[in-house]
Amino acid sequence: MRDNTLKYLLVLPAVLVVFATAVWPLIESLRLSFTVGRLNRPGSLDQYLGWENFTWAFSQEPAFWNSVWVTTVYTFLTVALTTVLALGLAMLLAPGGRFRSGVQTLLILPFAMSPALIGVSFRFMFNPEFGLFDAFFGVIIPPLADVSWLADPVLAFAVCVMADVWGWIPFLTLVLIGGLASVPQDTIEAAQVDGASGWRVFRDITLPQLAPVLAVVIILKSIFSLKTFDQIFMLTNGGPGTATQTLSHYIYFNGMKYGQIGYAASVAWLMVIPMIFLTYAYAKFVFRKN
Amino acid sequence: MTTSPTSDQQNSGRRSGITGKQKKRISWALQSFLILIAIIIMLTPIVWIFMAAFKTHVDVYQLKLFFTPTLENFGLVFDAPYYLGDKLLNSTIVAFVTVVFAIPIATMAAYSFSRFELRGETAMLVIILATQFVPAVVIILPFFVMFRDIGLLDTRLGLILVNLAIVMPFAIWMIKGFIDGIPMETEEAAMVDGSSRIQVIRNIVLPMAAPGLLTAGIFCFIIAWNEFLFALILTNKDAVTLPIGLALFKAEEGDLWNLLSAAGIIIMLPMFVLALIIRKYFVQGMTMGAVR
Amino acid sequence: MAEVTLKNLTKRWGDFIGVDNQSLEIHDKEFLVLLGPSGCGKTTTMRMIAGLEDPTDGEIRIGDRVVNDDLPRDRDVAMVFQNYGLYPHMTIFDNIAYPLRVRGTPKNEIEPRVRKAAEQVELTEFLHRKPKALSGGQRQRVALARAIVRTPKVFLMDEPLSNLDAKLRVTMRAELKHLSRALKITTIYVTHDQIEAMTLADRVAVMKNGIIQQLGTPDEIYNDPANLFVAGFIGSPAMNLINGSVQDGHFVTTGGTKLVRVAAPDSPSVVLGVRADDMRVAEEGEGDLDVRIYAFENTGEATLLTVQWGKQRVIAKGDRHLRKDQDDIVSVSLDSDHLYLFDPETGDRIKR
Repeated sequence: MRDNTLKYLLVLPAVLVVFATAVWPLIESLRLSFTVGRLNRPGSLDQYLGWENFTWAFSQEPAFWNSVWVTTVYTFLTVALTTVLALGLAMLLAPGGRFRSGVQTLLILPFAMSPALIGVSFRFMFNPEFGLFDAFFGVIIPPLADVSWLADPVLAFAVCVMADVWGWIPFLTLVLIGGLASVPQDTIEAAQVDGASGWRVFRDITLPQLAPVLAVVIILKSIFSLKTFDQIFMLTNGGPGTATQTLSHYIYFNGMKYGQIGYAASVAWLMVIPMIFLTYAYAKFVFRKN
Repeated sequence: MTTSPTSDQQNSGRRSGITGKQKKRISWALQSFLILIAIIIMLTPIVWIFMAAFKTHVDVYQLKLFFTPTLENFGLVFDAPYYLGDKLLNSTIVAFVTVVFAIPIATMAAYSFSRFELRGETAMLVIILATQFVPAVVIILPFFVMFRDIGLLDTRLGLILVNLAIVMPFAIWMIKGFIDGIPMETEEAAMVDGSSRIQVIRNIVLPMAAPGLLTAGIFCFIIAWNEFLFALILTNKDAVTLPIGLALFKAEEGDLWNLLSAAGIIIMLPMFVLALIIRKYFVQGMTMGAVR
Repeated sequence: MAEVTLKNLTKRWGDFIGVDNQSLEIHDKEFLVLLGPSGCGKTTTMRMIAGLEDPTDGEIRIGDRVVNDDLPRDRDVAMVFQNYGLYPHMTIFDNIAYPLRVRGTPKNEIEPRVRKAAEQVELTEFLHRKPKALSGGQRQRVALARAIVRTPKVFLMDEPLSNLDAKLRVTMRAELKHLSRALKITTIYVTHDQIEAMTLADRVAVMKNGIIQQLGTPDEIYNDPANLFVAGFIGSPAMNLINGSVQDGHFVTTGGTKLVRVAAPDSPSVVLGVRADDMRVAEEGEGDLDVRIYAFENTGEATLLTVQWGKQRVIAKGDRHLRKDQDDIVSVSLDSDHLYLFDPETGDRIKR
């Protein structure tokens, strides 16, 4: 067989799978978003409704805006905290050696943990009666001693952020260690010989050369923060009230619990839009490397 | 693990005199302290779960660091009414079959993307990349409706099909990275030596890419194993997987933490082992080649 | 019996021209070297012959057969790659045996033929190892053995020595030459190293920008370069190329000094080519032109004087006992029997 035929035959199954499992549901979701789309009402999945689902979300649903707000703050905080802390940890661990390499290996563990399980474990850690973190914070910040973290809207949100940051720091750290390793050692040594202090070397030499990796990390983390579901579902289930209800959670509840699948699909598509921009930015980095 | 030269090299010989030496010592102590704190923060939740899994029903509801370990929790979770064994079997079958489908399909595509110029290649690669970033909740809505109509709800087969959606992009990009690393010359040598393209793939590319395929397979297995949202929506009884099974341990009187922890260990321990096997490639896999 | 004939061969990628409408006949049992700087199209030419690259235009013939549409495996050629292209997951034995196996050679023939090939490159004791366990020179031998284990119509060698260190390269060069004389198989050899070309080739094709600049024996391209490019590319140190003019049958420097008798018509602008070997160095005032030394280098077997020649710098080779210093004045004379004149516009050689 000639390569010219073969090369397309080889990609065909993958293209079909990706089409069936990702492209088709995306398009079908878009279609559903313009229908009445009630799970318990036969025929409503084909009942055209126009833009009503979207206008409903924008004008009649404080819960929608709440979840947009929660997701935005959540994304902003988790991205900023994870990136800064991971960069610090990467700087600490980058020099290598047996001890540091050992720590790097340990970093894999939280990342191999199911996000659902991370949610569970943080619920455990912040249990008001026997949670280890709860007790710890109670000791170092006495006013928090008698608070039930997950019953307080702000603190519950803080716990969600902590759990997310805890789960993602290891991965970002590993990426940034890789990035630091690719900063040519001789540029750093040259700056040191030229008389730059440690901080100046970091600011003038390391950081600019690390910028592309940092950008990739921030985009990737933003995407995953925006999508957050598993952890929050197991940790607070959106509560108390809707204090920690992210968009994914809001969509899940409307679609699956209330059976308003058309409405859920329209909100889901509103969420796809920022993803398109982030994916575009990410793809640019990927293809610049290739 | 790639590391830059040692810290000694960076820190030594910069300033002369005693202050330099002292500075170095202080910096060393500070760094060690910070790393230590990071380790503690990182490991505490994991260690806490490990401990709770061996605590009795009574001990787990107290902040006890020292206790008499027991294995009874692991017995309980596999018994009525939880039957975690069924969930374990479901998780294993679903993750394994997903990988068995995904890897060969991804390998074929990855080879083609790596070695040939295809019409619309960039577009295809971007779409594959993008599917990874589509929120799972968007994908699952139509699948739920369709599976309800054709009776695939609460089946392993249904779960496997949608798991392919999240696994394929990783697999294709990861394997493409490995194949990109095989020198073109080796394949060309085989062709001049008398191989057809298929023989080249079978005799040269597959054996050389084998470690990479195994790595990608393990990576995808971990992702499928930890998958939560699809299983939450598509299963309720027969095909429930381990992460969903965690919800079983909510009782009237509150969470059964000793049993939750035992189940947690069963979920995470195998993944820890697998992740350590492929630790060198974890970052590469997750970032799909944006960071090398 | 296998000559290789290229007819109007062209390779283009978009606007970029790799090989530009070249024709070349390589005789049976000839050792032909394609020589040129990187990007000149020599490797592309070879890859088209191997079938690893499809020509945009033109015809490739091996023996009596037009092979344009044949897959590499149907062309009956053997190739040695720059990075050797060994199969890392196979032992050395299996590497060498691979061309036989994949072409369905009877099992009982494989072992003796692999052993014979391994003997010819002195590899017999490594047959059970994997390529990773071998040194660069040994890997190079494996690649050679894999090529000679069959009797192909043509050997193709793509910079096979370029990854070896300087010392090993000289040794392997001699081995290669010995082997090729013994095997008597048509060979096409690509290199950017003019010494390899000079020592190995029956004929050399010097390429630049996808065009063969000159085709000839090593003697011809060294002693009778067709143009400025070939003159500057062949020889070490490179031939000096001095700007000037021809007046009254003499070369005149840009500074106006009438220098040496040349057999060429008068011209306001020419380039004079002269090799460092063909310049004599004498004390100040005792030669044709006094020049200042820019740098003096002693290589042990000779001395090299880089001298300031107007705005240009020129290298002359001196006696190995000569001792001079920077900024000393010496006098140089040119040997009128070994001078080359070129047209600065076209680069072509000006012959009488």
